[in-house]
This record gives sequence, structure tokens and C-alpha cells, in this order.
Amino acid sequence: MLVALAALVIADADAASQLAWLGAGTAALLLAAGMIAQSPAPVHAAVAVLGVIFLLRHDTRLLLAPLYGAGLLFMDDLAIRTMELSGVGQIAAEVIVARVGATLLTAAIGSGLSAVAALAVTAPLPRSVALTAVGALAAVAAFVAIVLLVRRRFGTADAEPPLRPPGPAAQAPSSPDAPAVEPLA
Amino acid sequence: MKGSLSPRTPGVLALAGAGLIAALATGRPELALIAAPFLVFGGAGLVLAREPQVTAAVEPQRLRLLEGEGLTCAVRVRNDGPEPVEVEVAPVRTRNLAVAPAGTVSVRVGARSETEIEFSLRPRRWGAHGIGPVAVRARDVLGVTTWEGRRGGRLDLRAFPREDRLRELVAPLRTQPFLGTHVARARADGIEFADIRPFQVGDQVRQVNWRATARRGSLQVNQRHPEHSSDVVLLIDTFEEARDQASGTLDSAVRTAASLARAHLGRRDRVGVVDFGGTLHWLEPAFGTTQLYRIVDALLSSDIAFSYAWRNVDSLPQRVLPPGALILAITPLLDERSIALVSQLRMRGCDLSVVEVSPLDHVSPGPTAADGVAYQLWELQREALRARLRSLGIAVAVWEPGGALGPGLEEVNAFRRSAQPALRA
Repeated sequence: MLVALAALVIADADAASQLAWLGAGTAALLLAAGMIAQSPAPVHAAVAVLGVIFLLRHDTRLLLAPLYGAGLLFMDDLAIRTMELSGVGQIAAEVIVARVGATLLTAAIGSGLSAVAALAVTAPLPRSVALTAVGALAAVAAFVAIVLLVRRRFGTADAEPPLRPPGPAAQAPSSPDAPAVEPLA
Repeated sequence: MKGSLSPRTPGVLALAGAGLIAALATGRPELALIAAPFLVFGGAGLVLAREPQVTAAVEPQRLRLLEGEGLTCAVRVRNDGPEPVEVEVAPVRTRNLAVAPAGTVSVRVGARSETEIEFSLRPRRWGAHGIGPVAVRARDVLGVTTWEGRRGGRLDLRAFPREDRLRELVAPLRTQPFLGTHVARARADGIEFADIRPFQVGDQVRQVNWRATARRGSLQVNQRHPEHSSDVVLLIDTFEEARDQASGTLDSAVRTAASLARAHLGRRDRVGVVDFGGTLHWLEPAFGTTQLYRIVDALLSSDIAFSYAWRNVDSLPQRVLPPGALILAITPLLDERSIALVSQLRMRGCDLSVVEVSPLDHVSPGPTAADGVAYQLWELQREALRARLRSLGIAVAVWEPGGALGPGLEEVNAFRRSAQPALRA
């Protein structure tokens, strides 16, 4: 997925192709580091780098951006879920199918909405301070709404610890209905 | 269940926010368009997330088995919610219980339905192994939120020690006046011939030895040894053990004790157990199959408890060691307190034998030449200790775990036969 996205950028980067190669390489390194360290932060950083190098493309950036975003989301999701499932001893096939399906569906909806936004952006609207302010407020409002939703439901998030069942470390004591083994008074 | 954001969610939202802000800052709408799917993903996940109504319970085939024996354990996971849930399940975490598949199992449970996950369990050693409660982690369909909790109760899986079949047992010096299989020294009705004596009033005619009567010219009768039972006390040393990654001397000691208890109870002896160590537990001698199960159950709770307490023979209640009982001390002879105890018991005239569970299999000499010399010195010290115990009249059988116990017991009997007059003194 990373290769496909990077190739999409490098193919049309022309003079900035070296920069695009550098960005793609950095993203690949970050992704590999994240997978090895089982940490989502480098994976997100790789996604951010790939997002930034998209600006190096010359043609049809606006039309490709929704699909590119969906591709980035899918890559991010695959990487994170691979990490989540790395400690799992047995995975049912329907779990993987359901996860990939849900992510693809969300990415499709997101890219669809994004495409609608792209069409709106390409409309010949006069650029003004008021319009920019409205856009900025809409973005901030959307983001604040999500953050408030998160805080109301869960509070702050910590790193997901490995699933550890409870229980004795090695040896459980004898059960209460064990026979009369008398302790020394 | 306790809900929290998945570790990925803040990152996804941060990417979405960064994309929107960067788009505004740079005037490049492409960045906002790239960020839009991330925003939709995070927002949809948070809006759709609901606390799952998941219950789980462990259902093993049975709760009693032999160590090393396999067992299938089912974990039933039920989802009472209106949406399918992805659930990660982990039923046990004990060092001595091998679980297959190792790690967690991830399944998808449909709305208002139930699924069963099968685990294979195999206790690596005897003991009571706890199973459950089940640790459950549920995720929403997009994996934006996670819910964790513990479901179900705890069950104790009791793994009994494997026992050797023993043909030869240590013969007691004294017997109890109950019917058994040991030939008593006393003379009474029995099978084993003892002596001939002149006829006395009250003797039965079937006791008359006609050949001896013809030879001596007066009525002679046979005297016989009766078959009696004996009291056997198994003294397990839990002060100290030698242990490596796989096993330890206590594991072998408990197996030996279980084997001896079964064999002696099978010969109608009364058997008791004393767990002598940092903590002191005991079972008074008794007959029968019930006592065997009591003993095995009591042995499962044997463990090394570190203690500075100096225990001696006075720490043992008198009723635990009946007069004339055969005491079999099962010990690695590593702790001074247990060595002192067997010496004291012998000095008080107890009929005592030591089954030494050899710690040599669990201890290896270090890499240097000095370590090798130290190891040899330690072996010599142990040999000297055995000689000292034998000089006190204590029969010592060295048993290498993994080998047969029978030859060791035969060695004890041979020592006791040769030293019987001294032992009875």
C-alpha cells in the first residue's frame, strides 16, 4: 500500500522527484520502525509524511486527494491492526474480514465526502477573508465536537496494555473444601 | 466493562486535525481532502461505539486429572448486545499450565448469540491450577474504542501427581494390632511359622505338630506370627529444594510420597503425612481409600515456604507420630533443620528411614575449574552426611528422580535387616 501511494506521487513529481523519493523512504522506515516497536506513533508519522509529499504532485491533485486519503487511512488501519493482532494466538477468519470490510467502507465513505468537498473547492467562489474564516470555524468546530465526544465518553486514552488474564502466578492454594489438613497453632 | 479509546484513535484524530489546520495555514485544500477520511473514520467510530454486553465462562471437561494429562476447556462467550462484537479472550495465566493456543484468541460474536472457544490445557506439574476469570477485550467494529473486563468465576484444576507402582516397601520394625499384611514379631494366630512349644491347656488340636510330637515323645504345637498392619508417617521436607527451569526436588518428593501412600494403604497400613517446612501441615494416620485421596489432596498444597523458624521434633504434635510408627522422611537433605529433625527422631527411638531425593540433577557445576572442585566437595559433604546418618542407624536410600524407587527401598530394607538388633535397641 505504501509503495502504491508513494509511486502515485513520484510518478508525477518531476523536478521534486528526489524529495518524493526521500519522503517515501522516510515513510517506509517509520512504518517498519512502528511495526517492529509495536508502537502506533511512527505509523501515524509515516502516514503524515506520505500526506505531505502528496503536495509534490503536479497534476490532478484535487481529484486524487480523496482517494489518496482513503488509501492512507487503509494503510494506517492495516498497520495498526496487524500490531493489535500480533499477540493473538488464534484469529477467526471472520474477524479479519469484518475489520477489513469496515475500514474499506469507512474509507470509501470518507473519500466520497472528500470528493464532494473537492468539487465544492473547485467551484469558482471568490476568495475572501470571511469565507476563509467560515472554513476555519467549520474545521475547528468539527474537531472540537469530536474531542468533546471523546472526553465525555472515555476521558483521556492511555496506551493499550497487553491482555493479561488474572490468576495466580504459579500455584493456587488448596480449595476450601480440601480435607482436614491442620495447621500448627 | 471499562471502556477506553484504542491507542490508534488519538493518532487518527491528530492526523485529521493536522491535515485540516495545515490546509488552512497553507491554503492547500488537498491536505483537508486527504484528512477527511480520517475525520470520518474517527467521528463515525466514536458515534457508533456502544458498550458491549459480553459475558464469558470457563467450562473445563473435568476438574481433576493427572499431571501431564491433556484436558479440553471450553470458554463460552455470549454477546447480549444488538450488534456483533469482536472479542479477544484469554482464560488462564499460570506458569505450570500449558495452554494451546498460546496467547489470546480473537473471535467475532454475532448479535445476541454465543460462541465457544476451545483451549487445550496440560498441567506441567501436580498442584491446584487456577483457571479464570476470563479476561475479555471487546472492540467496536471500527476498532476506535476498546472495552475490557473480567468475566466468569475462578475454578481450581487439581492435577494429581503421577505415581510409580512399588512392589517392594520398607518393612516396619513394629506393627500395630490390626489385621494387615506385615508379619508381626508377636506370636499368635497367623500363617507364618514361628516356633514349636509343648502343648498347653487350651491349645487347639489343629495346632499340634505331629512330627515334632512323634520325635519328642510329648505333644508339641506350632506357634505362628500374626499378620498385622503398621503405621506409616510420610515426612516431606519443604524447607528447601533444588530447582531448575523444568522441575525441582519437591515435585519428585510429592510424587514419591503419593506412590508410597498408595502402596502402603494398599497393604492395609495406616498412613499419615507431615509437611515439615516453613509451614507445618499434617494428616493423622488412617486407613483406606478415603485417606489416600486426603493425602493426595493435602500433598497438592505442598510448597516451599521460606522461613527462619528453627523447627525441631517438639514442633510435631504427638498424635501425628504414633508409637511404633515407621517414619519415611522424603528429603533432599539440603536444610540443616530437616537433617537435625531426622537425627532427633532417630535418637528418640523412632523407626526412621530416609528417602533422599537427589538434588544433583538440578545442580550443575559452574564453568570454572574452581566450580568443579567446589561441586565435588559438595558431593563429598553429602556422602559424609549420609554416612553420619547411617551411623545413627538411619537407612538412607538415594533416589535419582526419573529412576525407579524400588531399588532404593530394597537398599533400605537390606540396611535395616543388617542393623536390626541395633535398631531395636
